[in-house]
Amino acid sequence: MNSLGDNALMIKVKDGDFDKLGTLFERYKKPLFGFFYHMNKDVDLSEDLVQNVFFRILKYRYLFRGEGDFRTWMFHIARNVSHDHFRKIKWKGREDLDQWQERLSNNDNRQAEFQQDEELELLSMAMDRLPEDKREILLLSKYHEKKYREIGALLGCTEGAVKVKVFRAMQELKDLYKQLEKHL
Amino acid sequence: MKIDEAYIQQLLDRVAAGVATQGDHLEIEELLDGGVIRPEDIESHARIEQQLLRLDAPEPSSSLDRQFYQMLSNNKSSKKAMRWSQFFQWPQLVPKFAIASVMLLVGVGAGYFLRPSADAPGDGEIAYLSRQVSDLQEMMMLSLLEKGSATERLKAVNLTQEMNEASQKVTNALIQTLSEDENINVRLAALEALKPYTTDSSVREALIRSIAKQESPLVQISLAELMVALQERSAVKEFEKIVDSDRTPAEVKKKIRETMEILI
Repeated sequence: MNSLGDNALMIKVKDGDFDKLGTLFERYKKPLFGFFYHMNKDVDLSEDLVQNVFFRILKYRYLFRGEGDFRTWMFHIARNVSHDHFRKIKWKGREDLDQWQERLSNNDNRQAEFQQDEELELLSMAMDRLPEDKREILLLSKYHEKKYREIGALLGCTEGAVKVKVFRAMQELKDLYKQLEKHL
Repeated sequence: MKIDEAYIQQLLDRVAAGVATQGDHLEIEELLDGGVIRPEDIESHARIEQQLLRLDAPEPSSSLDRQFYQMLSNNKSSKKAMRWSQFFQWPQLVPKFAIASVMLLVGVGAGYFLRPSADAPGDGEIAYLSRQVSDLQEMMMLSLLEKGSATERLKAVNLTQEMNEASQKVTNALIQTLSEDENINVRLAALEALKPYTTDSSVREALIRSIAKQESPLVQISLAELMVALQERSAVKEFEKIVDSDRTPAEVKKKIRETMEILI
């Protein structure tokens, strides 16, 4: 239902009815923000990236054909925005555990958010330690509601290959989680 | 791929217990790729996945909304306003230049092919040819006026209407026809043909002189009307001659008197 609505809205945006982009923004600002936030753990940066995604949607609206799913197209743009950002800052994803613990203790946002749930805190830390591609596939799975076929279209691979990628990412996440659990 | 459910369950159990070998993992991947099992079937993963779904991000701040709607507003206003600066931007100019160049080439080509050829006569030659045609028409008209047939003479008189400007010779011939032709219709046609030349005083004088020579009431009345139109007072004396003549019908006399009253 939403997808049909999304596509129809995006077609209207393409035809010049820019107000309809506001509706799409209200629908997807949170999932997009969540996707970016779990990728970089920076609120301001994530907001900028969400803004960037909608800027690109508007700029490249003529490329939307309405044949595929709008959300897939939007996440395709979001991935590009994210990759562009990581390329730009050469983000250091390989910090050791002590640095992460220090970072966690200094991060008021995160403390406030996760203090009541140690498991989620550990999971968040484990996610942060995952390689970018694996973190991305898990977040796509989360925000794409496990629609592996659509994720496959987004990544340019088969549905089966997406499931394998998710499995491998989950394996690694589980291992990281256990490591963190032992340290704490 | 023929693998029984019990075997698959054993594989999944080993993964859940964390004792799966590299080979087990490869087999699981094969099963996933083949669609035999789903990622959700792996219990240990399912638990983490559930947690993953609960892993919330903080709420985006209001500045995200503010920035987005500002961007939207800017785009809407820039879309509405016609920007001349955009007109001159290179990507827009390229097709315009292309079209202009093509049109210029088409124009030059058309001009080249449609230009007057070297053999075509110039303005002077055209004037010369035109004069030749006029001379020919004049000669033909004068020749036809001498014909015995009234029809031929009428044709001759009508030929003058095709001439841009009749020569003195032609107007004289017409005046002669008006005064002397035996056919009333030919005289009337000659009078009609002379009207465009009444601005010439010699033609007007000739017309006045011809009044006394007319015996046909139709020609007399036509001349009277023309004199009124020209406000030619000097014609009154000639009209008096017609009025005084016993051969002039009473109705014509009446009309002529009216004309004289207007002219006096």
